[in-house]
Amino acid sequence: MTGHTPAPDDADVGRPRTATDSAPAVPRWAGRWSAGTAQRLGLVLVGAALVVLFGSARASFYDQQLTVFPLLRDIAVFTVVGLSQLATMSIGHMNLAVGRMAAFSAMFMGIAYQQWHLPLYAGLAVGLLAGAAIGALTGWIISATGVNSFVVTLAMDFALLGLVSLTYSQLTTVAAFTAKPAGMDELRGYSMADVCVGNVCGSPAIPQILLFTIVAMLLVGYLYSRTRTGRELLLVGSNSTAARLSGVPVTRRVIGAHALSGMLAGLAGFMLAVTSGSFTAGIGSEFMIPSFLGPVLGGTLLTGGAVSVVGTLLGTSLVQVIRQGLTTLGTGLENLNIYLGVILLLALSTDRIRSVVSARRAVAHP
Amino acid sequence: MTHPAAHTGPTKPAEPAEPAEPAEPILSADRLAKYFPGVRALDGATLHLRAGSVHALLGENGAGKSTLIKVVTGLYRPDGGRLALDGTPIDFHSPQDAVRAGISVVHQERNVIPEFSVAENITLRRIPSRRGLVDRDRMRAQARRCLDLLDLDLDLDTRVGSLSTAQVQLVEIAKALSTDSKVLLLDEPTSALTLRETDRLLDIVRRLRDQGTAVLLVSHKLEEVFAVCDTVTVLRDGVSVLEGEPIAAYSREDIVGVMVGRAHTAREFAPRTVDPHGPPMLELDALSTASGHCDVSLDVRRGEIVGLYGLVGAGRTELAKALMGLDRVVGGTIRVRGEDVRIRNVGQALNTHRIGYVPENRKEEGLFLDQPLTMNIAVTVWSRIRRSLGYIPARRERELAAEYTERLGIRVSGPSQLVGQLSGGNQQKVSLAKWLAARTEILIIDEPTVGIDVRTKAAFHQLIWQLAADGLAILLITSDLPEMVTLADRVLVMRDHRITGEVPNTHDYASVSQAVIRLIHGTGSGSLPTAAPDPSNPDPACGFEPSNRP
Amino acid sequence: MSTAHTIPAAYRATLGRFTRSTEMTLFAVGTIGFTILAASSHGSLLRGNAVHGILIYLTVPILIGLAQLVVLAVGQMNLSVGTLGGFLAVLIAVLMADHGVPAPIAIAIVLVAGPAIGAVNGLLVVASRINGFIVTLATMTILGGLQYRLAGTRTIDPGSSSLARLGDRSVFNIPVIFLIALVLAAALAFFLRRATAGRRLLASGGNPLAARLSGISNDRSVIVAHALSGLIVAVAAILTVASAPGVNKSIGGDWLLPSFAAPIIGGAALAGGSVSVLGAVLAAFIVRLVDVARAQYSLDPSWVNFTVGAVVLGTVLVGRIRSSRQDRIGRAPDRDSTLRPEPRPDDQAKPLPTAGARSTS
Repeated sequence: MTGHTPAPDDADVGRPRTATDSAPAVPRWAGRWSAGTAQRLGLVLVGAALVVLFGSARASFYDQQLTVFPLLRDIAVFTVVGLSQLATMSIGHMNLAVGRMAAFSAMFMGIAYQQWHLPLYAGLAVGLLAGAAIGALTGWIISATGVNSFVVTLAMDFALLGLVSLTYSQLTTVAAFTAKPAGMDELRGYSMADVCVGNVCGSPAIPQILLFTIVAMLLVGYLYSRTRTGRELLLVGSNSTAARLSGVPVTRRVIGAHALSGMLAGLAGFMLAVTSGSFTAGIGSEFMIPSFLGPVLGGTLLTGGAVSVVGTLLGTSLVQVIRQGLTTLGTGLENLNIYLGVILLLALSTDRIRSVVSARRAVAHP
Repeated sequence: MTHPAAHTGPTKPAEPAEPAEPAEPILSADRLAKYFPGVRALDGATLHLRAGSVHALLGENGAGKSTLIKVVTGLYRPDGGRLALDGTPIDFHSPQDAVRAGISVVHQERNVIPEFSVAENITLRRIPSRRGLVDRDRMRAQARRCLDLLDLDLDLDTRVGSLSTAQVQLVEIAKALSTDSKVLLLDEPTSALTLRETDRLLDIVRRLRDQGTAVLLVSHKLEEVFAVCDTVTVLRDGVSVLEGEPIAAYSREDIVGVMVGRAHTAREFAPRTVDPHGPPMLELDALSTASGHCDVSLDVRRGEIVGLYGLVGAGRTELAKALMGLDRVVGGTIRVRGEDVRIRNVGQALNTHRIGYVPENRKEEGLFLDQPLTMNIAVTVWSRIRRSLGYIPARRERELAAEYTERLGIRVSGPSQLVGQLSGGNQQKVSLAKWLAARTEILIIDEPTVGIDVRTKAAFHQLIWQLAADGLAILLITSDLPEMVTLADRVLVMRDHRITGEVPNTHDYASVSQAVIRLIHGTGSGSLPTAAPDPSNPDPACGFEPSNRP
Repeated sequence: MSTAHTIPAAYRATLGRFTRSTEMTLFAVGTIGFTILAASSHGSLLRGNAVHGILIYLTVPILIGLAQLVVLAVGQMNLSVGTLGGFLAVLIAVLMADHGVPAPIAIAIVLVAGPAIGAVNGLLVVASRINGFIVTLATMTILGGLQYRLAGTRTIDPGSSSLARLGDRSVFNIPVIFLIALVLAAALAFFLRRATAGRRLLASGGNPLAARLSGISNDRSVIVAHALSGLIVAVAAILTVASAPGVNKSIGGDWLLPSFAAPIIGGAALAGGSVSVLGAVLAAFIVRLVDVARAQYSLDPSWVNFTVGAVVLGTVLVGRIRSSRQDRIGRAPDRDSTLRPEPRPDDQAKPLPTAGARSTS
C-alpha cells in the first residue's frame, strides 16, 4: 500500500496502554517490540515448541487427515470467533452473547435452507444480516441506556438462548435444520488441494473453509488499519468522551462495533454448522471462553483502543494446538481447561511483570 | 532557579504567636522531587510545618502545589528528597500510612462516597466500631460534633450524592476534622464556599492552630492567606522559591511577584486588527439551553479574541458544549457567518460550520493518551481526506500531523509517540492542533494554560494571539485574569448562566480586573452570587431557572 | 442510647426509601406473580409439596446470586462462581464416597477451600492489576478442568449421611437448606450494613479513590469480597450435595448466568458501591416463579431463559427512560458537576440505572 510503518503486521494499529503513568518517554518502536511484537513472537515460539513436542511424542500429530486438517479447521472457526469478540473489545466493550449470536444467525441460515430453499451463499448472507441486526440491537441498547455492555450482552445471551431453542422446537422435529444446500458438503470436506490445482497451490491438509477466515481477517485488518471507521472505533475505545468531542459519531460507532461482532459471530456459526453438518441450537455454546482467549493472548486490550488481528489468529492457534495435542496424547480433555487457564494467567502475568520492570527501570534512570 | 530578590534576611521568628525560638517542624519535606513523563512536577520543593502555626503554600497553576500535597499524603511516592515527621524519616507507601501518622487532608478534588450518608462519610477515616460492628451512636455523635464545629445544620442521614457542591466540600472539611490530627492540609478548601462559610472555616483554622495543630493552607484567594497564615512557602515550577518566611514581611504585590517570577507586565504583542465589517463569525442572540443558560447574547468577529470570564460553575464550559451541539438549545438563535444554524452534533459543528472546541480537561476530554500523535491530530481530518471504501491515505495523514506538529512546535520523538508520554504543554498543543488541522474558523478555547508551566504559557499566549492575527474568531474561556488581560480584546462576564456585563480591555490590569470582579460579585458584596432572575426579562425559555438549588 | 430520639427518624427514612425502591417493585411483582400462578393452578401450588419444591430449588439461585453480589459490591465480577461451586460439590462427594471422609469433615474442608480459592482470585486481581473479568475467566476454566478431572464421567452418590438427611429435613414444611440460605442472606445484609469491614467494602466499590484517601485498603476489600464470594459458593455447593441425589461434572455449569441475573434485577450497580441483598433474593424468587410457571403450563424450558433475558433488558431500558425523564424535569444549572455523572451513554463503568432509589445494603 503506501509503504509506511514497517510493522510486522499491518493490522496492528492502536497501541497498548503504558501500564504506569511514570513510564519514561520511550521511542515507539521500543514499546511496540516489548508490548506487541514480542507477545506475538512468544506465541509463535510457544506454539512451535508445542507442535514439536506433541509431534515427537506421537507421530500421528503430524497426520494430515486425522490431525492437521481438523486442527486447522478448528483454528479457522475459532479465529473468526475471536475476531467477533475483538470487534467489541476495540471499543472497550465485551460481547458475552457471542455464542448465542452465532446460534441466532445460524438459525436463520437453517431456516433459509430448509424453509426457503435458498442456495448456499444466499442463506449465508441472510444469516450474516440477522447476526448484524441482533448485534446492532445490542449496541443500540447499550448506547441508549448507558448500561455496561457486560450486563446487556449477558441479558441478550439469556434471551437468545431461550429464543433460539424455542424456534428450533417450533420449526423442526429433530431439533436441527438438516437441509443441505448444494455445495455445503464440499465446503466441509474439501481441502485446498481440491479447490486449487492439487499440490501446486494447495495442500490436502489445509481445509477450504480457512478461506473464510482469511477473508474475514483481511477485511477486519483493513477496517482497523486503513479506514476512518476503524480508527474511530479505536478512539472510542481509547476515550469515548474525547472521541465525541472530536466529532466522532460515538453512538453510531458503538452500534457498528456490535453489529460487526454479531456478523462475525454469524460467520463463525456458519463455519461450525458446515463442519458439523447441521444447524442446531447448540451452535456457539462453546464460543464464549475461546472468544476472549484468542484476542487477549494476542494482545488485544479489554479496555479498548488497541487490537491485533494477527495476534488473534496466533492466540487461537496456540489454544487449538494444545487442545489437539492433548487429544492426540490421549490425556483427556479434562486437563485441557486447566492448562488453558494456567496459560492465560501466565501470559497476563508476564505482561504485568514486564511493565513493572520497565517502571522500575524508569525510576532508576529518570 | 535562584532565590528571588533578597527581600528579607534569614528567617526570623517574628510572629508573636510563635514561641521564642522556632519549634522543630512537625512535618518537614526537603528537596522533594517528583517526575512525570516529560514533566518535573517537583524539583526541589522544601516545606516545613510547625505545630501551632498556619502555613501558606502558594504558587501559580501548575507550580506543583497539589503534587506536593499528594506526595506528603502518600498518594505519590517521591522520586527524590526527604520526608520527616517529628524528626523521623518517613516513607509513606499509601494514603493509609499518612492517615495513621496523623495527617489529615482536604484534597482539591471532591472525595466522598456518594451512596453513603453524611455521618458515614465524615467518620470514614476512622469508623467508630464495637466488636467489628459500626457503632452508629458514636458515629452520629462524632459526625454531629464535626458539623457543629462548622456551624452546619446538615441531616446526618442524607446521602452525600444528593448534596450540593458546597455542602460536599463542607462535609469533606468536617471529615478532615473528624480525627485529631497533628497536621491538617487544606488544598483550596474554600473554592465552593460562601464568604460566611469561609469565615467560619478560617475561625476553625485559627482555633486548631491555637490547640497546636500544624495547618497548611493552599488557596488562590490571597485575602484568606493573609487573614490566617503565619508563614508562607511559594512554589514556582516545582521549586520552592520562598521557604517558610513570615508572611507579615510581604505585601500582596511581593507575593504575586515571587509567584510569577518577574514583575507582572502585560505582554505586548504585535497589534492585530479586528475586521469590523460584515456579519460576525459567531453570533448568539438570546440563547437559552437545556443546561440553564438564559438569554445569552454575544458575538465574535474574524480576528477577534473575546474573553468569557466567570467563576467555576457559571456555565461557560456548558455554553461551549451547547455550541458544539452537545446540549439542547431551547431558545434564541445561533448565527454563524450571519446565517441562522442549528447545531446537532460535533461533526456538524466541525465539518459544516468550522467550529472547534479545545476542552478545559484535556486528559479526559481532549486527548487519546494511549494513542500516537498522528491519531490524535488526524481525528478531525479523516472525514475530509478519506477516499472510497473509507480508505485513509496514511501518507496524507502523517503529512498533516507533521505539518501541525512543526507549526505549533510540539516536541515529540516521532509521529508515533504516544500522547500520554508528552508534557502538559505539548499535550495541550496536540489538543489544539487537531482543530487547526481541521481548518476551523471559529475556535472556543477553554482554560488553555491550566497545569502548564510559566514559560510554555507565554509561548501559548503568543500562539493564540497569532491564530487571531491569522483571522480566526476566538472565544477564550479562562479563569486566569492576567491571561485574560493579556489576550482578550474585550471580556464578557458570565454568572449563573447569564452574561452579566462586558468590559473592554484597556490592557490596564488593575482597572480591568476590578471591573470584571465587580461584575462577578454583582453588588461587590463578595459572597457567592445567588440566583437573581432578572424580572425585566420574562423569557419563557428561562422558566425553569435555578429554583431547586439546595 | 443518647441519640435514641433520632433513630425512629432513620427507620422512617429507610421505610420511606423502601416503599419507593426496587425491592418494593420486586416484592409486588413476586407477590402478584405467585398469586396468579396459585389461582390458575386451582390452589395446587399452595399445597405442601409444591411449596417445598419451589423453595428447595430456590436455595442455590439465592446463594449464587449473593456470591456474585458481594463481588459486584466492590466493582468486581466473578465468573468462576459456577465452576467453583461445581468443583466444591464434586470435592465433597468424592471425599465422602471415595475416601470415606465423614460428612462434617468434608464440609469443613470445603468451607475452608471455598474462601481460599476466592481469596486467590482476589489476590490475582490485586497483584496482577488485570481486569477481574479475565482473571476469573482463567480460574473458571481451571476449576472446570479440575471438576471434570475429579468427577470424570460418573455420577457420584455420597451415600446416605448426615448431609443427605439435612437435605430432607423441613421445618413447617420449609426445607432447612432454604432456611440456611435465608440466614446467610440476612447475615450478608447485616455484614454489608453494619460491620465495619462491610462498610469498607462498599466504600471501596463506591469511590475507590475516596476510600483510599480515607485510609481504606481497596486491595483488601477486593480480596475480602472474593473470599466471601468463595465462602457463599461453598455453602451453595454443600447444600447442592445435600439436596441432589448425586453430583457429576455438569453441576454448576448453568450457574453463571443466573448468578448475575439475581443481583442485577435486584438493583446492584455494576460499578460497585450499591447493592441490595433483599433485591437479589426477591429477584431470585421471581426467576424461580418463571420456572414454576413454565412447568405449570408445560412450556419449553427455554422460556425461562428467554423471559429472564428479556426482563433484564427491559429493566435496563425502563430504568434508563425513567432516570432521563427525572433528569429533564429536575434540571437546574449544573453547579454540582463534580457529582453529576457526565452524560456519556457509551461509558463502560456506568452504574446500572435501575429504579431510582436504591438502598445501600
